[in-house]
Amino acid sequence: MRYPQSLEALITEFMKYPGVGRKTAERFALYTIHRLDGESAQAFADAIRHAKSSIHMCPTCGHLTDQERCEVCADPLRDGSRILVVESAKDVFSIEKAGDYHGLYHVLNGALSPINGIGPEELNLKSLWPRVQEERVKEIIIATGATQEGEATAMYIRRILKDTDLLVTRIAYGVPVGANLEFADDATLAKAIQNRRSF
Amino acid sequence: MRIETVTLADFRNYRKQTVELASGLNFFIGANGEGKTNFLESIYALALSKSYKAEDREMVRFESPFARARASVMSSAGRTDLQLILAEDGKKALANGQEVKRLSDYVGILNVVLFAPEDMNLVKGSPVDRRYFLDVVLGQIDKRYLDDLSAYKHALKQRNELLKQAQPGKDIDRDLLDVLTEQLAAAGEAVIAKRSAFIAALDRKAAKAYQFLSVKQEDLGLTYQPSVAENLLPALKARYRSDLLSGTTNHGPHRDDLGFMLNGMPAASFASQGEQRMIVLAVDLALVEYIEETKRERPLFLLDDVLSELDREKQNRLLRRLMETGIQAIVTATELTDIAADIIGSARIFKVAQGTIKEEHHGQ
Repeated sequence: MRYPQSLEALITEFMKYPGVGRKTAERFALYTIHRLDGESAQAFADAIRHAKSSIHMCPTCGHLTDQERCEVCADPLRDGSRILVVESAKDVFSIEKAGDYHGLYHVLNGALSPINGIGPEELNLKSLWPRVQEERVKEIIIATGATQEGEATAMYIRRILKDTDLLVTRIAYGVPVGANLEFADDATLAKAIQNRRSF
Repeated sequence: MRIETVTLADFRNYRKQTVELASGLNFFIGANGEGKTNFLESIYALALSKSYKAEDREMVRFESPFARARASVMSSAGRTDLQLILAEDGKKALANGQEVKRLSDYVGILNVVLFAPEDMNLVKGSPVDRRYFLDVVLGQIDKRYLDDLSAYKHALKQRNELLKQAQPGKDIDRDLLDVLTEQLAAAGEAVIAKRSAFIAALDRKAAKAYQFLSVKQEDLGLTYQPSVAENLLPALKARYRSDLLSGTTNHGPHRDDLGFMLNGMPAASFASQGEQRMIVLAVDLALVEYIEETKRERPLFLLDDVLSELDREKQNRLLRRLMETGIQAIVTATELTDIAADIIGSARIFKVAQGTIKEEHHGQ
């Protein structure tokens, strides 16, 4: 037996979310019908509509914002000599939560991966090149992931910037802080030893 | 290392079976089609998490939802309980009851060397068969090799996809091609270095093992034949044009080969069927020795249907050598009529019939 058409439509919408399969989508849809009162359902729909219409990418760095420019770019107290390059807006929130970095960001919205159809054109790189030519910018910190794609993206940016005076750095990989060595996997340990520093 | 017990449930034609193995020679005797090879396959699968000749689902008994193989392994690290569960929706490998998610963390807990009739492809088959042999064997010995190999394969996929996008009149991003080439070369060099060192070590050992088996002054040689002689990065960069034209990466470890020479002649075309079998057996004996040296752990030796192909003298030479080294060996055969009494006396003998294994006691 099939679900009524409007319920089926709701299930289909939930299934578009990452990590949500048919079964979970059915649970969400039935929950919406049974458990949410009219007001809550309305609030949910409004929240989606509002977020979608008010949130956009910061024209400078590509981070998410509901203002003209993002919180970081608009802050005059941030250190404008450094730009930290990340794959996604989620990474910005993680680093901000850590609270130790006071420079600027640049969000690529992905990483280079021909098998997924992502080339340099598909990334938010075009707006990075004029930024790095600004007088005050001295260092580009590349913080893309430690995956083949993240590494390829880092190497690509380094290549493009190789004839500039900029200091191009890559974040370090190693043993998680507060963890014993025995819990690190072999590849991480090998990297940590390769990238050791004088002490 | 050795296996103390093997327990199978709905694995191939075994409904429920527990076997207690001896630490030395173990003979599994039965007619063809009764389940000898299936038992051997279960031990191989416990070591490598997959079969050497079949898809996972083929190892599940007909009309059963899943199969389970379990072994208690004694090694210098102590006792480990290995379990492999094969189900319709995937498989699980467990060590001491804990699921092991990374293949490279599981493979290598139990080391096996297998001689199977299919291995004849090593000499006369295609380079694909020989690369597969290298990858499986090296993966068992050196878990970083598996990581290097999968990094190489992933970078290769990326680079080939980019090359495919190159069309006449539509150029691709050269910086991206450079970057992917550098990544491919870095992973590829690691694979090449390990293959090269491994084959050099195996070469000397296999030559000695061949002379032992053949009792003649014959010279077996193994040679690594990498697809390019020079360093990989300059080699790939010098061949951009042909790669762009063909839309694929034409050189690198994915095109390597391993050559066998017998008395200076390529064995694939000049060695007889019997000589080719002896080459494979010599390589397996060399492998046992190599694993023992590098891992400080003696692997299990699985020999499927090898005896019927050797003459009486060679059968006894091989088995006596195994007996003297004390290696745990699982040997399948249809009969033991040619085997010397002292070898049989030292071994544990199992009869295999219609998916049931029963130990046969001496003097019965």
